[in-house]
Parts: sequence; structure tokens; C-alpha cells
Amino acid sequence: MKWNLIRTKVLVALAACLVLGVGGILALMYYSFVRNSQALAAESVTGAQKLFTILEAREISKMTAVSETLIMNPEVRDAFAAKDRSRLLELTAPLYPRLKSQGITNWMFHTPEPDMAVFLRLHNPAKFGDHLNRFMDKEVARTHAMVTGNELAKAGFAVRILRPVYDARGGVTGYVELGEEIGQFIHTMKNQTGDDYGLLLSKKFVDRQFWADSSAVWKRRDNWDDNPNFVVADKTTPTDNIIQFQGEVAAVPDQGKVLQWFHEGDSAFVRGIFPIRDAAGNTVGAMFVVRDISSLYMAMRHTRNVLVLVTVVALALGIFLVLTLLNRLIFRRLEHIIVVATRVVGGDYESEIRVESDDEVGQFEQLFEQFRRVFVDLLAHVPEFQEK
Amino acid sequence: MSQLYDLRVLIENKIKTDGLDAMEVKGKIGLRSGRILALISPSTPDDPDAVAKLRQAAKDVLNINA
Repeated sequence: MKWNLIRTKVLVALAACLVLGVGGILALMYYSFVRNSQALAAESVTGAQKLFTILEAREISKMTAVSETLIMNPEVRDAFAAKDRSRLLELTAPLYPRLKSQGITNWMFHTPEPDMAVFLRLHNPAKFGDHLNRFMDKEVARTHAMVTGNELAKAGFAVRILRPVYDARGGVTGYVELGEEIGQFIHTMKNQTGDDYGLLLSKKFVDRQFWADSSAVWKRRDNWDDNPNFVVADKTTPTDNIIQFQGEVAAVPDQGKVLQWFHEGDSAFVRGIFPIRDAAGNTVGAMFVVRDISSLYMAMRHTRNVLVLVTVVALALGIFLVLTLLNRLIFRRLEHIIVVATRVVGGDYESEIRVESDDEVGQFEQLFEQFRRVFVDLLAHVPEFQEK
Repeated sequence: MSQLYDLRVLIENKIKTDGLDAMEVKGKIGLRSGRILALISPSTPDDPDAVAKLRQAAKDVLNINA
């Protein structure tokens, strides 16, 4: 390849256009994919947050209805007012397995203030008389109205309702509490969306010894030391691999946050996280979301490949057409002029330049042909030629 | 006989021997050396510069060492 030739330079310029074109399309597709992934990731986090809120509201509504029915039962009400634990247990114990099958795992009766001790635990009847001193306990004692919200306790992180129970004369005889483990929400959410979730609890709100004890009770690995700031309370995957978060749970913004998108084999995923607050407004935990965006990724990749192929073919065709045109209009005619000029100098005075058109090269052909005639005529007058 | 003319003869013999296109080869050598071979006669005076150029052109086009 001769680099001084215009043909080579044009070819290189066109090849550069081809590379730039394909590169531009790749960059555009990458930008578009990143934008779409980010939008999808943000939507995943927002969607998960909304779904969590809906589930939370639904379960609160369910527990409210159950508690309403419960405190309207005169036998239950009277037994509690009489502080007859055995009778209360006898009346409520048959109901507990049914409620448990519906997700209500915590069910307690509390004595009224100022003592406010646990009077009966349906999920652990042998244990009573202890004081929980939680925010919701204080709030329901202060307002004598139903309090709902998430509360982290030794029994776990649960969405709870706590409401007063009144006797026949309208006096507060104590409080009834129902609760559902938030951990089970993520399995419901996975069933509905197909995404994976992980529930993280800030270590600031979890007792180390309790975590070790509960891990032994639930026969799960004590994962306290896996992360510096939080513990993984539950997740929808067999391993903790999806949990890739190093920050403080409390620093997660209210609207949630997209962490990253990543690949695993041929699949593409996005990660996000949103905070979970307790009834007091503390960010005690966070929900980790991992969405599989492989279908979008594959579609984008297919589109990119088609676009690249179409661009390459179109530009290659363009290069071929431009080179063919240049060859016909310029290069071949210039070569003819060179051949004629060479032959004339070599003694072929009959060789003529064909003027093919009146374009720029044609004007040059015409000029050169006129020059050739002058040159031949001049030679005819040279003495050495005349001697021949 | 001049050196220039000797070179011309040498070139023409080579063209004949190899069966080359005489007009084309002479044209190339003429353009390179700045001399029209047909105008070199036995009486053409030698110019060292012209001889060197013709010799170099013959070497470039026909690969002959004159």
C-alpha cells in the first residue's frame, strides 16, 4: 500500500469513518443501555418499596381486623379483665395456630400501665411478666389508641399493632398485640416480582447476644461478623452473595438508592436498597433488592448487534461506491494521462489523450492534450529529428 | 561517440533483447533523466550530469549497470 496515493488516503479516511461510525453506535447503545438500566434499577427500588408498603398496610389491616374481633369477644375480654391467664390461654390458644398459618407469629397481652408487663405470650405461653419498654408500648399507654408500625424486638423485626382492651365499663384493662415477621415479606415479594430481596438490620439496634442465641434457636449460621454495620436477617437466595453493601443503613435515603448493575455469566442484574423505619422513625433496617434485567440486556445487545451490522454493511457499501466513483472519474483518467505522457516522451507521437468529459479532470485532459500537440510540433522542428 | 549515445544504444539493445514496450520504457527513462533518447546522437556532447542521470534512470527502469 502506497501512502502517498490519494486513493490510499481516501481509503484510510473512509475506514476511519467506518470505525468512528461503529464506535459511535456502540457508545450510543452503551449510553442508552446504562440510562435504561438506571431507570429500570430506580424503578425496581421504588417498586419494591411500594410493594413493601402495600404488604405492610395489608397486614396491618388484617391484624387490626383480627384484634377487633378478639376484643369484641366478651369471654376473652372478661378473662383478660379478670387477669385469668389460664382462662385467657384456654380461649385463645386454639386460634393461634390458625393465625400463625396466616403469618401472625407474635400475639401478646400486656397489663395496663404503669406496670405494662407481658401478661400472656401466645407464641411462648411459659414466658410472661417481663417488661419490653418499647416505643410502641409507651405510645399506646400515652394515647390509649391503636399504634401500628415496625418494631425491632427480641422476637425479631416485625410489623405490629398494639391496641387497648376495654372492660364492660370502658376502662382500659390492658393491651393486645399482634405482629408479623417482616422477614416473611421478602418471600411474598419474591413470589410476586421474581426479584431477590435481603432484609438488613442495623447492628446499632440489635443485641449481639440475642443474635447469637436466635441464630442457635433457628439453626442458622451466626452471620454477625459478615458485615461491619448490619446483619442479614433474611434473604430470598441460599447465599449472601447478592448482598453487596458496605455503607450505613441509616445513610440510605428515604426514596431508596440504586447501588449498581452487574453481570453474572450471561445474565445482567441491578442492585438497590431502601430504608425501613420503625414506629419511632429510626432507620433500623433496609431492604436490599436485586432485579434480573437479562431480558432487557439481551434485547439491547441484539439491537446493538443489528445496528452495528447494518452500519458496517452500509459503510462498507459506501466505501465501495466512493472508491469505484473516484476510480472511474479521477484515478483511471489520471493513469491514462501518465501513460500517454510517458509514451510521447518515449517516441510514440501518435498517442493521444481521450477527453472524456468537461469536468475538472476533463479540463486537465484537454489542457494536457493541447500541450502534447505543442510538444510534438516542437520536436518536429528540432534538427536531430529533421535529420532522421 | 559520446557516453550519452553509448547509453542510448545500451538501453535500446536491452529493450530489444527483453522484448519490452520500447515507447513506454524509453518514455520512463526519458522522464526520469530529463532527456529524450531520440534526441541523443553520436555527436551529442557529454555532460557529466546528464550522463549520471541517464545512467541512474536506466538502472531504475531496466536494472542495468551502464
